Amino acid sequence: MMNEDTQEILQPQTPIKKHGPWYLLTGLILGFLLGVIYTWWINPVIYESTNPASLREDFKDTYRVTIAQVFAATGDLDRAARRLEILEDENPIYLLGAQAQRALAKGEEEQAHDLALLASELQAVTAGSLTQPTPLATDTMQLIPTQTLPALTPVP
Amino acid sequence: MTRRTRRFIFFSLAILAGLAAGIMFGWQVAPIQYKDTGPDTLRQDYKTDFVLMVSELYEHDADEAMAIARLTYISPTPPLETVQTAINYAEENNYSSVDLQLMDNLAEAIESRSLHYDQNSAGL
Repeated sequence: MMNEDTQEILQPQTPIKKHGPWYLLTGLILGFLLGVIYTWWINPVIYESTNPASLREDFKDTYRVTIAQVFAATGDLDRAARRLEILEDENPIYLLGAQAQRALAKGEEEQAHDLALLASELQAVTAGSLTQPTPLATDTMQLIPTQTLPALTPVP
Repeated sequence: MTRRTRRFIFFSLAILAGLAAGIMFGWQVAPIQYKDTGPDTLRQDYKTDFVLMVSELYEHDADEAMAIARLTYISPTPPLETVQTAINYAEENNYSSVDLQLMDNLAEAIESRSLHYDQNSAGL
């Protein structure tokens, strides 16, 4: 009931904002970022059981030269090759040669010798296995009968 | 429950879900890769093989000081401890008797060297 003194106060109708689920996405992204920050910087995975392939280059060089020195001492090429394999170098012979050059430049002649020796032995083995002809397995070959044309001229 | 409270709860749940996803991503899917690791992080079998290499070299040159220097490459622990750990691993994993003997020889050499130094420092 309104009279002259009273007026209807019209409150502006605030439209109900439909925010949708954006705040959920914001929360998810925020949480994800916090998780990544925690796992990459605060508490990262600690590698305790690495393999030699993941070693820093200078440590790899030390590992490689030790392999070469052991080979020079024992002459066990098979073992040296298997040890080099675990370094997972793309071209171990080339790397041995390059390291030998570096050692020579630094005046470490004995190391250079050992590295070059291993490189050349591996090279020889690799070259040998490439040039060696593979024997034909004639013993196990099955002879397949083929139809041949009759000889036109008699064989003398 | 007011709308505001409900939104707050769902927002918190979303953060928790995102956090779980982030942790899963950071530890399992794409953990930090260490490419330039040090020798002390090597797996025990590789460490043992390195100790074996040092033993083979020691057998050849009988240079204890050099052997000890080489052993410090793979572990900051005392050299004798490094060799003993390697011997234990080798025994558990059936290394050949020749390899075990080589490592034993190195361990003995390091032990006798440290005894020698202890005696010298004690003025005996």
